[in-house]
Amino acid sequence: MNGKDLARALAAATCTLLGATEEAKAAEEPTWNLDTALLMYKESDSRVQDVSAAILASRNFADDRILGLTLTADTLTGASASGATALDRPQTFTSPSGRATYTTPAGRVPLDDTFKDTRFAVSGSWTQPLARLYTVSAGLGFSSEYDYRHFGANAQLARDFNKRNTTTSLSVAWSKDDVDPVGGAPLPLSQMLDVGSNANKSGSRSKNGLDAVFGVSQVLDRNTVVRLNYSYSRANGYLNDPYKLLSVVDAATGDTVARTPGPTGGPDGVYLFESRPDSRTKQSIYGELKRNLGGVVLSGSYRYLWDDWGITSHTLEARLRWPLGGGYLEPVVRWYTQSEADFYRISLVRGQPLPAYASADFRLGRFDATTLGLKYGHELSDGREWTVRLENYQQNGSTPSSALTGRQAQRDTFADLHAIILQFGYRFGL
Amino acid sequence: MKRLLIASMLLLSCAGCAHLGVEPWQRDVLARPQMSLDADPLDAAIDDHIYFSKEASSGGRGFGGGGCGCN
Repeated sequence: MNGKDLARALAAATCTLLGATEEAKAAEEPTWNLDTALLMYKESDSRVQDVSAAILASRNFADDRILGLTLTADTLTGASASGATALDRPQTFTSPSGRATYTTPAGRVPLDDTFKDTRFAVSGSWTQPLARLYTVSAGLGFSSEYDYRHFGANAQLARDFNKRNTTTSLSVAWSKDDVDPVGGAPLPLSQMLDVGSNANKSGSRSKNGLDAVFGVSQVLDRNTVVRLNYSYSRANGYLNDPYKLLSVVDAATGDTVARTPGPTGGPDGVYLFESRPDSRTKQSIYGELKRNLGGVVLSGSYRYLWDDWGITSHTLEARLRWPLGGGYLEPVVRWYTQSEADFYRISLVRGQPLPAYASADFRLGRFDATTLGLKYGHELSDGREWTVRLENYQQNGSTPSSALTGRQAQRDTFADLHAIILQFGYRFGL
Repeated sequence: MKRLLIASMLLLSCAGCAHLGVEPWQRDVLARPQMSLDADPLDAAIDDHIYFSKEASSGGRGFGGGGCGCN
């Protein structure tokens, strides 16, 4: 090789090296991964319906740094149980705005059908490694609806141990929520008034939340990974649902005490607005296992939750992801049960002293719920995937006979809930 | 208190985790996206939101649900 050839060879080698560097750079260029979903949630008996669109976008930068963004838009319509008890006659209520009345049919758990809302939510997060074994992430979230605003911030620090087979993490979140109820926030345990009188309602309220999650995840073997979390959550401030009621009933018959509405119209029974404590501390233990069984992935989880309102709950969930052709089939089953809050009441009894706290919100009552569902995912080239899932959610409540008064024993005392969840998803990269 | 004790014991029992796990070259199966503990974050967020608005419990897996005056 003469000098000229050597120079050419060196130049070629340099170009190849430079080219390789360029290629490596290109591979490190940021890319967007988008996960999108269209959700239709529909409850039976013309209760709540929700159509929701969500996008989860993440952008990967060099050195495992990740930007995450989530956008959600919801439109909600339909009726929800007000907390008033069923009667053998129709019942009339003043709507939350205080400007009109609505009447519910005899023999049915009363539903408030004045409910309509649109919700927008946006959140962002940043995740990056810190030193060799740590990962740090931080995020902000905001959501807005007609009568509610939420602002939250969170941070997480995770550390890997044991050849990255063990990861521990500590996450904290803070939130501030403002409630601006239609017609104003009612004074707890005050009576529902006639149309045009909002004397017992005023302005907006707020609450703060502080959450912490301590978690450990562990690789057990080549096919199995587990996770264990302890969560602590504290909320302070206005924790009432401003639209929930309690019927005041006669001690002998169990019927709602009748009331004569004024000339502007109003409730034909005595109904009080609910009253909850102004703080709540919730704690939970959550365990999850994921195992590959020859290509089929089994996921199972269990959560035990308890709070200082007297509620305890158990949640069990299992999924099986079954490869099928160019995709997979994933059946899911979830079972949930909760006990009632100490201050949960079907109704209040006339003549008895008023308790400090009382709520007839069914979500604070004793019930079981079962979800059965099936998801199908079809994998396309370039990591693209479309999915469809259909789930059936059924909630059945029970009221101990000791909590019932008079004829309440012959009536529906819990607004059993049935909902269908249909979701389409599409995942792609940009 | 009893619950806290049980929880602490469960977490501390992970001190024995040092003997568990795989070598870096044995992560073929675990590296598959479906084996991630957060394989479907959007589905999980949607589920959390639905259950938050219909049940008295929330969170556990993460912060979960919240941020709405859900009826």
